[in-house]
Amino acid sequence: MICGFDTNDGKRLFVLLFLCCMLVGMSMWAVTLGMMRISPFTVWNALFSFDGSREHLLVTTIRLPRVLAGLVAGSALAVSGAIMQAVTNNPLASPGLLGINAGAAFAVVLMMTFFGAGTGDVYMWFAFCGAGCAALFVYALGSFGPAGHSTTGLILAGAIVATFLTALTSAVLIFDQSTLDAVRLWTAGSLAGRTTAQVAAVAPYILTGLIAAFFLARHLVTLSLGADAARSLGQNPMVWRAVAIAIVILLAGSAVALAGPIGFVGLIVPHIARLTVGVDYRWILPFCAIGGALLVIAADTAGRMVFASQSFPVGVTIALIGAPFFLWLARNRAGEAV
Amino acid sequence: MRLTTLLVVLLLGLVAASLALGDISLSWRDLLETLSGSPDATPQNAMIVFDLRLPRLLLALLVGAALATAGTIMLAVMRNPLAEPGVLGINSGAAAAVMAVIVLMPRPPVVLLPIAGFVGAVVMAAAVYLLAWRNGTSSLRIILIGIGLGALASAITTFLSAFGEIGDVQRAMIWLAGSVYEADMVKVRLLFFWLILPMAFAWISSRELDVIRFGDNSARSLGQPVDLVRGLMIVLCTLISGAAVAAAGLIGFVGLVAPHIASRLVGPSHARIFPVAALSGAILVMASDLLGRLALAPVQLPAGIVTALIGAPFFAYLLWGRQHARG
Repeated sequence: MICGFDTNDGKRLFVLLFLCCMLVGMSMWAVTLGMMRISPFTVWNALFSFDGSREHLLVTTIRLPRVLAGLVAGSALAVSGAIMQAVTNNPLASPGLLGINAGAAFAVVLMMTFFGAGTGDVYMWFAFCGAGCAALFVYALGSFGPAGHSTTGLILAGAIVATFLTALTSAVLIFDQSTLDAVRLWTAGSLAGRTTAQVAAVAPYILTGLIAAFFLARHLVTLSLGADAARSLGQNPMVWRAVAIAIVILLAGSAVALAGPIGFVGLIVPHIARLTVGVDYRWILPFCAIGGALLVIAADTAGRMVFASQSFPVGVTIALIGAPFFLWLARNRAGEAV
Repeated sequence: MRLTTLLVVLLLGLVAASLALGDISLSWRDLLETLSGSPDATPQNAMIVFDLRLPRLLLALLVGAALATAGTIMLAVMRNPLAEPGVLGINSGAAAAVMAVIVLMPRPPVVLLPIAGFVGAVVMAAAVYLLAWRNGTSSLRIILIGIGLGALASAITTFLSAFGEIGDVQRAMIWLAGSVYEADMVKVRLLFFWLILPMAFAWISSRELDVIRFGDNSARSLGQPVDLVRGLMIVLCTLISGAAVAAAGLIGFVGLVAPHIASRLVGPSHARIFPVAALSGAILVMASDLLGRLALAPVQLPAGIVTALIGAPFFAYLLWGRQHARG
């Protein structure tokens, strides 16, 4: 069951290839669409024989970075969500449960309160540091002490730290209207105005994380059976849990730094994957990587198209597009088994 | 029993402190005279104690106990350590409704906010349950549908908060942060009579909760009509936490931690968890409100924020500080 092909693998491969094609098509469409329509041919030329014209500049400096940011952020969030659900064995888990979103938001709000509104680059580093620190703290709290060896300890530690940081953030925002005004678009999650330099800054971390995640997939299957089963299969669950969490911090921290707390992708894409391809994480992870990117790109493009606004928060359209599909799947495919 | 006594003593101490302390602090003798209605008491003190502090205190007590009870029900029915009334979409539904009323209506009357909160909460919970129904329900399906619908409602809230007028958004955030500022005896009485039946009923059905937490199959083989019990429990939980949200906004953390604290203190039997959870919830919200009033006076911090700020470290201490092995 764990190794070797069965008849369903062909179907899963087909679904994955289909999603890949959709992703390529959707990315192309996203680049061509906007205030100024640009033909795919021009896009091709802008990439491979750049001549400095207005269209080419538009493609390389605005459209393409935005699409790339959506691609890396979407796949990173979805894969880290799948890892979190495997590690905690809990359907409510997402990268946010490690305090990633709450930590990033708190760091950004703190920065704005003390130094005033800054540029996107500065937000990015603060967000990444905040996310990383919060997640490490959650892990430390969840791994030591009497509750340390159960996943419940980790889950509760995450809930505690995330709630605490969110409360601190609200306390600041309630008294400081100017920061609230500056930060509210960031907290909704957005891909607007991302630069190539910003994408390039986080892309290495996300790529490393994704590759590491695929190598981890086999161990995730074991880990998702629960600590006792994992131990009796010869796995040291504590070690692999630590590795998995490190990957989640790398992936989700970078994604949140780049695109703001787009929480929902990391929660539903893994569920959609599991409801579609089954419980094997060697299938779930690639499906999440492609599906997450697809959902974010589609949502961002739809937001730009329908609301004709460059800064429409992508987090909102993700929910509007993803949730109905997810509800349909959950209603029809989620059986009695927990 | 000793534990319950301890909690009750703590609660009474908090009651006395909340009545005495504030912008104008009363001495213990003044407080006693005012409470006993002796002729020496000044009318000013009587006004402070009976019209301002007492309703607020009672509201905090009721809301805390209600949220803890609802959380206990959800924890047992969903069998998930993260389960709290919010899983049913109660918080996101109330938040979306209140945000919509504040941002979209030009001058919403204050009375409308609790009503909008309650309606939003109940509509969401009903939608989650109905969508999850398919020849019966399962905890997993309720959780998943709750995630999906909750995300839709949150998307509406986020959209409104990103594009609404900034003053309105901040007003909505303060309401949503959860507070017991605007308490009066009418509200307290209303909430009390609303809560008493569902909470009593929840306590009576402790045994059913003891059974259902073992899982659908085990519960069924013990002769329990699982779907009926789960449906009833979800209705109770919605009635209780919807009313609490309407009265005080989103005081989120109590429903999650109070049941965990209680089950760590008294073990797995729900007949014993309910009173301890309700007491802990009431103590947590009352203490938070008191601290929120005093800490940065004259500025008042909403109780919902303080609940998380003091509840989270305390809960962490309870989990990790004490070597309390769990059965």
